[in-house]
Amino acid sequence: MSAAPALERPQVVSHAQQALSYTVFDCKWVPRSARLLCLGSAARGTGLVQLYELRGARLELLREIEKPKPIKCGTFGATSLQQRYLATGDFDGNLNIWNLEAPEIPVYSVKGHKEIINSIDGVGGLGIGEGAPEIVTGSRDGTVKVWDPRQKDTPVANMEPVQGESKRDCWTVAFGNAYNQEERVVCAGYDNGDIKLFDLKSMSLRWETNIKNGVCSVEFDRKDINMNKLVATSLEGKFHVFDMRTQHPTKGFASVSEKAQKSTIWQVRHLPQNRDIFMTSGGSGSLHLWKYEYPAQRSKKDSEGAEMGVAGSVSLLQNVTLSTQPISSLDWSPDKKGLCVCGAFDQTVRVLIVTKLNKI
Amino acid sequence: MDDESVPFLLDQGTTKTYQIPISHLDYKFIEKCTDVKHLEKILRVLRSGEEGCYPELTFVCEKRIEHLDPKSRALRTDKPAATASDFTAEEWETINDELMSWLTEMNEDDKKSQFLRTDTPSENQDNLPPIRCSSSCLPANQNRTLQNKQRNKKNIPRDYSEWEKFDVEKECSKIDESCEESNSKSRFFNRPSLPIIKNTIDTTGMTKREKIFVATREKEKGNEAFAIGDYMEAVTYYTRSISVIPTAAAYNNKAQAEIKLQDWDSALQDCEKVLDMEPGNIKALLRRATVHSQLQNYQTAIEDLNKVLGVEPENPIAKKNLLEIEEKLKSLKPVSEIQGKGKRILIQEIEDSECDEERGENTEECERSGGDKRTAVPVAAEAAAGEPAMGNAHRKFRSKGGGGKAEGREKQKQKEPTESGLKKDTPEKKPGKHLSDHEGEVNGYLHSDQKSESSESGSSRWYTAGSQWASGASPTSLPAIAAKLKTEGNELFKSGQFGEAVLKYSEAIEYVTGLGERSPDDLSILYSNRAACYLKEGNCSDCIQDCNRALELQPFSLKPLLRRAMANESMERYRQAYIDYKTVLQIDSSIQAANDSANRITKTLIDQDGPSWREKLPPIPVVPVAAQLHRWDGGNFTSENKPGSTIDINREEQLEMNCEEAMEKFKRLKNEGNDFVKMGEYDEAINKYSECMKLNAEECTVYTNRALCYLKLYKYEEAKQDCDHVLQIEDSNIKAFYRRALAYKGLQNYQASVDDFNKVLLIDPNVLEAQKELEEVTQLLHLDSSAGAGSPQKQRKKVTVQEVTGHDEQEERQFATSDEVVTDHVTSKEAVQKNVPLKSSEKLRVCEPSNAYDFGQIINAVNANKDKAACADLLTITDPKKLPVLLSNKLEGEILLIFIQSLERYVAGKDPGLVYQHLFYLSKAERFKVVLALLSKNEKEEVQQLFDLLSENQSDQYSLEDLESLKK
Repeated sequence: MSAAPALERPQVVSHAQQALSYTVFDCKWVPRSARLLCLGSAARGTGLVQLYELRGARLELLREIEKPKPIKCGTFGATSLQQRYLATGDFDGNLNIWNLEAPEIPVYSVKGHKEIINSIDGVGGLGIGEGAPEIVTGSRDGTVKVWDPRQKDTPVANMEPVQGESKRDCWTVAFGNAYNQEERVVCAGYDNGDIKLFDLKSMSLRWETNIKNGVCSVEFDRKDINMNKLVATSLEGKFHVFDMRTQHPTKGFASVSEKAQKSTIWQVRHLPQNRDIFMTSGGSGSLHLWKYEYPAQRSKKDSEGAEMGVAGSVSLLQNVTLSTQPISSLDWSPDKKGLCVCGAFDQTVRVLIVTKLNKI
Repeated sequence: MDDESVPFLLDQGTTKTYQIPISHLDYKFIEKCTDVKHLEKILRVLRSGEEGCYPELTFVCEKRIEHLDPKSRALRTDKPAATASDFTAEEWETINDELMSWLTEMNEDDKKSQFLRTDTPSENQDNLPPIRCSSSCLPANQNRTLQNKQRNKKNIPRDYSEWEKFDVEKECSKIDESCEESNSKSRFFNRPSLPIIKNTIDTTGMTKREKIFVATREKEKGNEAFAIGDYMEAVTYYTRSISVIPTAAAYNNKAQAEIKLQDWDSALQDCEKVLDMEPGNIKALLRRATVHSQLQNYQTAIEDLNKVLGVEPENPIAKKNLLEIEEKLKSLKPVSEIQGKGKRILIQEIEDSECDEERGENTEECERSGGDKRTAVPVAAEAAAGEPAMGNAHRKFRSKGGGGKAEGREKQKQKEPTESGLKKDTPEKKPGKHLSDHEGEVNGYLHSDQKSESSESGSSRWYTAGSQWASGASPTSLPAIAAKLKTEGNELFKSGQFGEAVLKYSEAIEYVTGLGERSPDDLSILYSNRAACYLKEGNCSDCIQDCNRALELQPFSLKPLLRRAMANESMERYRQAYIDYKTVLQIDSSIQAANDSANRITKTLIDQDGPSWREKLPPIPVVPVAAQLHRWDGGNFTSENKPGSTIDINREEQLEMNCEEAMEKFKRLKNEGNDFVKMGEYDEAINKYSECMKLNAEECTVYTNRALCYLKLYKYEEAKQDCDHVLQIEDSNIKAFYRRALAYKGLQNYQASVDDFNKVLLIDPNVLEAQKELEEVTQLLHLDSSAGAGSPQKQRKKVTVQEVTGHDEQEERQFATSDEVVTDHVTSKEAVQKNVPLKSSEKLRVCEPSNAYDFGQIINAVNANKDKAACADLLTITDPKKLPVLLSNKLEGEILLIFIQSLERYVAGKDPGLVYQHLFYLSKAERFKVVLALLSKNEKEEVQQLFDLLSENQSDQYSLEDLESLKK
């Protein structure tokens, strides 16, 4: 890795950073704006939502909202670009939807889970994904529930362990395959390494696998296309990229795995403007920018003539270390290519610029 | 493990972590080592510093690893985030500037959306899909034993709005695809259905910003799909993006994806849309050039590439493509000349579609000249005279329609040659005229034609004359300069340089308009010609403009109307196009291209607007009768009054126009006659043909056609007279001879019939029908003479129905010089079927069938009429031994029955031996056993009867035992 080509590769620039007085669990760009949200837990055990605006090279706090329970995760995925309501999951298992203009009372609230909501994702909003706006939540109570903001109190779909079986902690959920009004899948990752793919159209478990280590984060490369790729990151520093186009009857989806670092990969986020580039955030405070390269043939016939996928390869575009503490959250700006925000356990939120993403 | 892999071992011990011999931590070893894994371990040891700190050695080791495996994980080092120092000042500035400008943009946007938010707080939820069926529950840990009761609850039926957007084609293709795949995956129960992605996005209630966002996103999705070669998907996403906001970039990308899919037509359209938006778009020009070159429109491709090179003289792609195309062009030209004969067939097809008999005749003759020298003798000379025009036409076809890759292209291909076909009208007709008016030249227009061949205006005449006859009858007088410009324009048009032709025409128009509104006709023609150029260039809007101007000057002239219709059609303004085609058809209903297009558009409009499509049409202008009659009458009048004109260009043009008009009327009447023939209404057809004769008594084809009708009506005497007439005019008309032969045959003048057939065969020995007929008639003649006055009454009636119609159909194929235009075998067959019941009173005539097909035909006819006598005749003359071969696998219960019955009633009495032979061989036929098993009781009784009959009439030709065995 000589210096000359290194300059041709994307560079990660730390553009702005802001020290926080609380633990940040999630940070999110507000769509169609230069503002971002930090969600977390204050020292006294309450939840905090902070709205910052990027002004030049610094972040300016616009608003701080305190809520009774620590907020673990949030999403704008199921709201319209005009409303931009934030959906959050908190430590108590509540799903709330907030109008940030009037955050006193949630526009939607439900006690969705018995325990902490670890992960939340939305689809059908922001012009991303066809079909109804829906929110999925995954909780420590082992259930994955799908919510429609138009329906109070009860989820529209509930994926829970069979009675009597031990329930696993669901760490991560993600929507995908929402390319038309009928199709939609939810992928959930559990602490025991299980990855389950639920087909919401047929209400069936479409596929499951186990990657041996706790699944920290899963994400489809795009939610609103015929599902293409899925990245799942794990506790021991590996991540797997599944080619979701071709499902083999017995072998499932082809995958390639890569070890990024020794520590946990907390998050994976695909670049909204290019689905084949994604960033992983690691336990050692590092960020890795990857590119997936497709194989020449994405599928082949096995000995029985069944179609099976062929995994491609992953190449590292760039890696940086920003902190000594884990980077727990990561979000690309949907509006500005290369702009991203990450929150770390060193109680700092950083705005990063990734350059030369056009040239990949 | 390392110890074994290492060639030499010193006693210095090993490292602590990986047990690597200390000696390996050495420049020499590292330089030589090729085992990356081992080197990585060494590097780790070195980096850890547990064996001591050797920065230099570590660096060398890193270098070595990088040399062997640049992507080695060991090389990944923790790096801090890049800072300003990692970039050049400029780069840093751009990065910051970009961000700042984005920030300001966002802030402005925010302010705007504050207003917006108050406007649109209420979401229009109408277009959202229904809430997912509530409380669906799915056990997550089910370990592949999936039992979900609520599963079917989820299958929400499509609501109405969805059905509206339902893309049937896509759906079907999905089904096809899934069928294909299901072969291999049938056992895979929950295979995902293949993607059904809507082509449009509902943008109601979206702000402009949102639309831009969505459009960009869809385009990005398209780009990603394109990048991995999923072009279908890419096209879908680009289409979606365009449905939100049509951008040049999306069109451009879509065009590229369509090129990859080889969907040239759509690609062309998209390129043109880009160029509409951004006239100088290099990419679009390049892509259009590619498409044109694929469609073999090399000339246009070269133009596009030249435009690109005009802007970017160093564009390597354009240069490369230009070279390639020019080479192709070079290699093509000689081929097109060599392929002269093959090409003629191409013309013929087009002519067929145009239903223009005259030209059909001509080209048919040309085609036949390959096989038959004798008939072609007069033709060949004429063909040679028409050669320049033909050659030109060939080239045009090649460049315009050679591609033919997509079906849609095919249509266009047809359209374009037809267009140029119209232009060639005159030159092509000449040879045709030569042929038919071989001897009697009354109008004298041919002479002037031939003279003009050499004159300068010769080439322009083709166009002007064509426009002229359409635009009405009035002598034209273009100023010399304008005429010259027009001629040049025409030349350029012919050579495919439409752009330059446009310039010439424009000059001419300017010049003429400068002189004042003196000659609307000429102006109209000029506009019309320029419109043709625009149409060729694909510049539809200008084409329409010019057509409008031409029509203002000369209302209801055919060519501008046709061109406008074509332009409108290609711009997808189907309603206007429909109106224009309909108007054209009012003026001249015989223009097949207009007919076809009108039909095609009707379909499109029905698809578009549903059954009430007509209500949405603007009113179709009623063509004044004068405009129609004017043409006929004027044509008639002048053609009769001005024979032998001077060589004056204008006169000449007018004359030609007159001939055209006369021909037009002819054509129309003939067409009507032909239609009647096709429908089997021969009386009406005769009336029409008679009218034709009043117009032009020299037209042989009309007579031969009328003769055919008479033949069909068994008016042999009249048929004979018509043929005689034709033969007076033209002593070698093969059709006349043939038909007269048939007439003589009907009149039982077998000797004369044989003579005529012989003449036919003398002219063209390859006419199979004549050969066959000759044999037959000779037989009849023989019979006649031998049997004497045995049964003349009966014989007389034995004029075949089956045979005549069958022959006619084939004859048409062979001769096709006539006006019946029974190119469509299906229609002629229908006619046959109609004829059969009409004449079922007639007895079927049978002759010995030579092959299984003939036999099958006869059997079918026999079967249809239950004509046992005929069947008996057939069986009598058929060699029993051939029966199995003739029947092949066509033996059916009905046929067997009719065989049995006819054998029983007619043959058994006379020749029981033959009956036995037949039965014997019948049992050898392929399907005999099967058929026998399927016979009903009654039918079996019939068989039994026959056997009884046979056993009564025993003879020495067969024994009773044989009979018994046959009964089995």
